[in-house]
Amino acid sequence: MTGMEAGLLLQLGLGALAVVTALTAAPSLRSRAGGILCALIAVTGFLTGLGAMLGGTGSLRISITLPMDPLVLAPDRLGGLFMLIVSGVGILVSLYSMSSTRGPDASRTAWVAMPMFLVGMQLVPAATDSVSFLLAWEIMTLGSTLLLLADHASRTRVASAGIWYSAMSQLSFFFILAGFAVLAAASGGTSFSSLQAIEPGPANVAFVLFLLGFGGKAELVPLHVWVPRVLPEAPSHVSAAMSGAMVKIGVYGGLLVCVRLLPDGPAWWGIAIMVVGGASALYGILQASVSSDLKVLLAYSTTENMGLVFLGLGASMLLRGYDAQAAADAALVAALLLAVSHAAFKSTLFLGAGAIIHATGERNLDRLGGLGARMPVTATAFGIASLGAAAIPITSGFVAEWMLLQSLIHGGRLDGAVVSVAASVAMPVAVAVVALTAGLALLTFVKAYGIAFLARPRSIEAADAREVPPLMQLSLALGALFVLALGLLPGPIAALVAHTVSPNPDAAVQSVGLGGVSLPGIGAVLDPIMLVVLSALVAIPVIVSIIVSARRYPHRTVELPWGGGGSRARPRMQYTATSYAEPLMRVFDDVLKPSRDVQVTHVAESRYLVERVRVEQRVSDVFETRLYRPVLNLIQRYGIVVRHVANGSIHRYLSYSFVALLIVLIVVSL
Amino acid sequence: MFENIYPQLIGLCAGALLLTSALMVWRHSLLASIRLLALQGIALAALVAVIGIAEGESELVIVSLLILSVKGLGLPWVLAHQSKAAIKQIQESPRLNPTAALLTVTLLTILSYVVVSRVFGLGDSSTGHAAPIGLAMVLIGFLLLISRRRARSQLIGFLVLDNGIATLTFLTSGGVPILLEFAFSLDVLLVVLILHVFAGRMRNKFGGTAVDQLRELHD
Repeated sequence: MTGMEAGLLLQLGLGALAVVTALTAAPSLRSRAGGILCALIAVTGFLTGLGAMLGGTGSLRISITLPMDPLVLAPDRLGGLFMLIVSGVGILVSLYSMSSTRGPDASRTAWVAMPMFLVGMQLVPAATDSVSFLLAWEIMTLGSTLLLLADHASRTRVASAGIWYSAMSQLSFFFILAGFAVLAAASGGTSFSSLQAIEPGPANVAFVLFLLGFGGKAELVPLHVWVPRVLPEAPSHVSAAMSGAMVKIGVYGGLLVCVRLLPDGPAWWGIAIMVVGGASALYGILQASVSSDLKVLLAYSTTENMGLVFLGLGASMLLRGYDAQAAADAALVAALLLAVSHAAFKSTLFLGAGAIIHATGERNLDRLGGLGARMPVTATAFGIASLGAAAIPITSGFVAEWMLLQSLIHGGRLDGAVVSVAASVAMPVAVAVVALTAGLALLTFVKAYGIAFLARPRSIEAADAREVPPLMQLSLALGALFVLALGLLPGPIAALVAHTVSPNPDAAVQSVGLGGVSLPGIGAVLDPIMLVVLSALVAIPVIVSIIVSARRYPHRTVELPWGGGGSRARPRMQYTATSYAEPLMRVFDDVLKPSRDVQVTHVAESRYLVERVRVEQRVSDVFETRLYRPVLNLIQRYGIVVRHVANGSIHRYLSYSFVALLIVLIVVSL
Repeated sequence: MFENIYPQLIGLCAGALLLTSALMVWRHSLLASIRLLALQGIALAALVAVIGIAEGESELVIVSLLILSVKGLGLPWVLAHQSKAAIKQIQESPRLNPTAALLTVTLLTILSYVVVSRVFGLGDSSTGHAAPIGLAMVLIGFLLLISRRRARSQLIGFLVLDNGIATLTFLTSGGVPILLEFAFSLDVLLVVLILHVFAGRMRNKFGGTAVDQLRELHD
C-alpha cells in the first residue's frame, strides 16, 4: 500500500468515525470531537493532495454490487492541487468551528454533515471515472445542504436559501450528469481515460452542458442566484468552506473538461468561457461594491473571483488553439493561482465576518465600525485578506492578477505577429474587464475594511465587541499568513502549480531570485521580496525625516474654542457603507437598477417642518428578477393546473394505472 | 369417460369464474359480494382439481384443497366476520351504474380474448381456450378496485384480481410449485387481514370507510 492509498483510505475511515462520533458524543463534547476529527480529515487530505501533486501514485478501488466497473480513486497532479486547496480550507474551517459553533450550528445533524461535506469535496478531485465523480459530488452537495439548513427552524430566510440552494445544486448536477452521459454514449465507457477522442458533435453538446453544470457550482452568471442567498445565511464557517473550497470544485470540473477530457476544442469554446467569466467578474464586483451587508458583499465578490478564474481558463483555451503555448500556460497557471489565493483570502474573510458576527451579532456594515481597536487580531487578519482580495502587492491576489494581465496583454501576439483576429479582439477587452474589476474590488474592500474596523462604532453592539476565542484567532491568523506567504514567495508555488497542468512547465513559469516568479514565454518577472526591499529603501528615509522633523517641532495642542461643529461629531455623522457606495450607485444606476423608497413624516403643526425622513434602498439581482422569476411563475402556473391531475383521490390514481394497462394491452395486440 | 367430459368441466369452472366476477360488478350488497367471492374460490379450487386429475398430478389436488380452504372458506369468512344483521345493511354506491359496469365487463372480456389470442396464441387445448377468462378476471378485478368506494369492497376487487392471476397461471402453465402457491396464499391472507384491521380502524376513526373521501395526508 502506497502512502497515497493509505491517505485515501484514511480519509474515508476518519469520515465514518467522525459521523459516528457526531451521532454518539455528548452535546458538550460534540463540537470539540467533531472539530478535531474534521481537522484530521483535512490534514490527511492535505498530505494526500500534496503527495499527488508532487507526482505520487496509488489508487483505491471500491467494488460495488451494482453491475458496473469498480469505483477507482486515484488523484493525478491536478486533482492533487485541488485536494490541497479544499483540505487547506478544511483545516482552517475545522479549527474555527471547534469554538465558533453553538446552538443549532453545533447540532448532531450539523456535525454529521460536516465530515460528509469535507470528505465529499476532497474525493471529487480524486475520482477517475464519472460514477465516482458524481457520487463524491453528491455527498459534497448533501453535506453542504444539511450544514446550511442547520438553523432553519428559527430563521425563515435559511429555509428559503435552502430551497434555492437545493434547486440550483440539482440543476448543476443534472447538467453534469447529462454531460457525462453524452460523453459516455459517444465513447462507450465511464472512466475518464476512455472518455476521449470524441466526435465534434457530441463534444460540443457535452461542453455546453458541462459549462452550465460546473459554472453553476462555480457561481458564474447567470447561475449564481443561489450565492447571495446561501452564503450570507449559512453559518460563517460553512460559508467559508463553500466559498473557499466548494466553488473550487466547480473550477476543478471546468479544468477537468477543458484540460483533460476535451482538450482540443474549437475557438468558440474559449471565447464562450471568457464571455461568461468576464460577465461574472463585472457583475459580481458591481453588486459587491454597492452591498452594505458584509456577507452578501463577500458572496458577490466570490462570483467576481470565479469569473476571473474562468476568464483565465478561457483565454488559455483560446491561445492554445492558436499555438501560443507559453502564454496559454501562463494564463492557465494564473487562473489556478487565482483559485489558490481566493481559497486563502476568501475563507479568511468569511471567517473574519463570522468573528464579527460572533462578537456583535451584526453583519450590516452600516451598524459596525471601530472594531479595529476592540478586535485587533481579527482586524489584522481581515485587513491582510482584504488586501489580497483587492489584489494589492505582497499578497496572493496581486501575483495571480498580475500573471493574468501579463498573459492577456502579451497573449494576443506570438513572435511579434498577431495570432488571430479573435484573440486580438478578445484579449484587450479582457484586459479592460480585469482592470475595471480590479478597480472596483479595491473600492469594495476599502469599504468593507474601513467601515467595519475603522472610525467610531455605529451601534451599541459594535461598541461592546470583544475579541473572539483563541482557536478562532488562530485559524484567522493562519489564513492571513498564507495570503502573505503566497504573495511574498509566489515563484516556488507557481512553478509547482505549473507542473500540474502544463506539459512543458519550465517554459511557462519559473521561480527566480528570492521566491520571485518569471514568465519566460512572455518575458515578465515579478520579485515581491525585491519590491519590498526597494520600497523599504524609499520609505525608510521618508519615515526617518518625518520623525526627525516631528522632534524638531514639539507637539502643539489645538483647542477648538468654537469647533465649527467638529467638536460635537457623532458616530452618525460618519460615512456609512451605503453613503460610501452612493457615487458608484449613481454611475452604474442603469445596470443595478436600485429601488428607492423615501418616506417623509412632517411635524403635526407645520407642513414646512420635517420630523423624520426614512430612505430605503434595495438592490435586487437583475438575473433573478428578469430571468428566474418569469420561469418560476410559469412553473407555478403549470403546477396549479397539474394539481387537478393528482388530486389525492386513490380512485383517480388507480384509474390511471388501469387505463395505462388497457392501453398497453391494446397496443400489443394491434 | 373422463377425457370426454374434461373440456366441459374446464369450461364449466371457467364459466363459473367469469360469471361470479361479472355478478360481483352487478351486485351492490356487500354480503352478496362476499358470497360470490366464496363461490369463485370454490370454482377456482374445482378448476385446479380438474386439471390435477387430468394431468395425474397429486400435487395439484393438494393445491386445490389449499385454495378451497383459503379462498373458498377462509377469506370470505374473514371478510364477513361481523354480525349478519349489520353486514346486510351495507350497500355499496358504486361510481359506475350497473348497466355501464356490465357493458364495460363485456368489453374487457372481449379485449382479453383478443389480447390472449393475438399475443400468446390460444392453442388447441381446452385449458388454452379458457385462458382469456383469467385475464378478463384480472381486468374486472381492477374495474372493481376503481369503481368501489368502500375499503372492503375494494378489497374484494383486489381478491378477484388475485384470483384472475391464479386462474391465468393454472390455465397456461399448469400451476406453480406447491411451496410457491402456499406462500402466495398466505401472502394474500395476510394482506386481507391487515387491510381488514385497517378498515376497522378507519371506521372507528372517521365513521366510514369511503376511500374517496380520504384525500389529504395528516401527521
